Amino acid sequence: MRTAIAAALICAAAPAFAEGEEVQIRGEVIDTWCYFSGVMGGPDAVQGTAHHTCAIWCSAGGIPVGLLGEDGTVYMILAIGGDDQSASGQTQLELASHDITVSGQHFARDGLNYLVIDDVVEDHGITNINHTDFGVVPGFAIPNPEG
Amino acid sequence: MWKYLIPLAFMAAPVAAQEGPFSEGSEARSWNLAWEEPARFEATVVDMLCEVAGDCANECATGRQLGLLRAADGVLTYPNKNNQGIFTGAAVDLEPFCGMQVEVDGLMIEDEYVGATNVYLVQMIREIGSEDWVTANGWTDAWAEQQPEAAAQDGRWYRNDPRVLAEINAAGYLGTGETWQEAWDITR
Repeated sequence: MRTAIAAALICAAAPAFAEGEEVQIRGEVIDTWCYFSGVMGGPDAVQGTAHHTCAIWCSAGGIPVGLLGEDGTVYMILAIGGDDQSASGQTQLELASHDITVSGQHFARDGLNYLVIDDVVEDHGITNINHTDFGVVPGFAIPNPEG
Repeated sequence: MWKYLIPLAFMAAPVAAQEGPFSEGSEARSWNLAWEEPARFEATVVDMLCEVAGDCANECATGRQLGLLRAADGVLTYPNKNNQGIFTGAAVDLEPFCGMQVEVDGLMIEDEYVGATNVYLVQMIREIGSEDWVTANGWTDAWAEQQPEAAAQDGRWYRNDPRVLAEINAAGYLGTGETWQEAWDITR
């Protein structure tokens, strides 16, 4: 009886984790702070080649990276292929701005979407060539080569 | 065209910070973001991968993102940014508090258009019961300890970080292989 009660108490005390949904999603690896906050302008300007250098800076700096899905949904990436270094990790850094197809687990929690990527099924490279529209964002991302 | 669109976007944005449900008592500094709300609240610092997906084997380990499980309503907020204005996240500043109950002050971002909700910029942290706030400015000091040679050079961390430089050297500032000069010329 005591065992049953203890087990019930443990179950009751355990956090109620959301059930992950198996998904395959294609999207661009983005810097979520610039995208969500608007600190550097509208969302179209803070992705792709225009924002590539800043995406590297933010990923290296520990800002969470996300996958901007083809439908516009942002998935906060918590792990990639077993690499749990979601704050400044090397795996995510090398994928900055890349258009990738991934398989993994999708979780939704308090209005945000999260992704635990099991596998990068295909890396399509950087396909969002938008510096022709926006230049480079922020403007100082590329230093003057002449000093 | 882009040179004109971005300033116009800033001009169109509301200037004054909006009040939110956790704004009372907040002393957060405005970043003049369109959808910022001052937000001061009590929370438990949690490991995001553990809290969201149940992967708790390396809970609170360095390099994992950390969140704030708000005491008042159980909502999981995601600190995307620390108090430094230089492309730095919040996990380094929150790590000493992982598993603890804290009070935080900062800015909440709520922008339905881009799907931002419960996204947080943390400016100050203190353990519940402590009088002393810790400013969330720790990222660059931690980086300088890890990268002393880069930190000794002139310029901001992101101009000298060897991992950043390796990525730029590999594929250029635009990521598509242009040389430095080519990237400069086509974006002027």
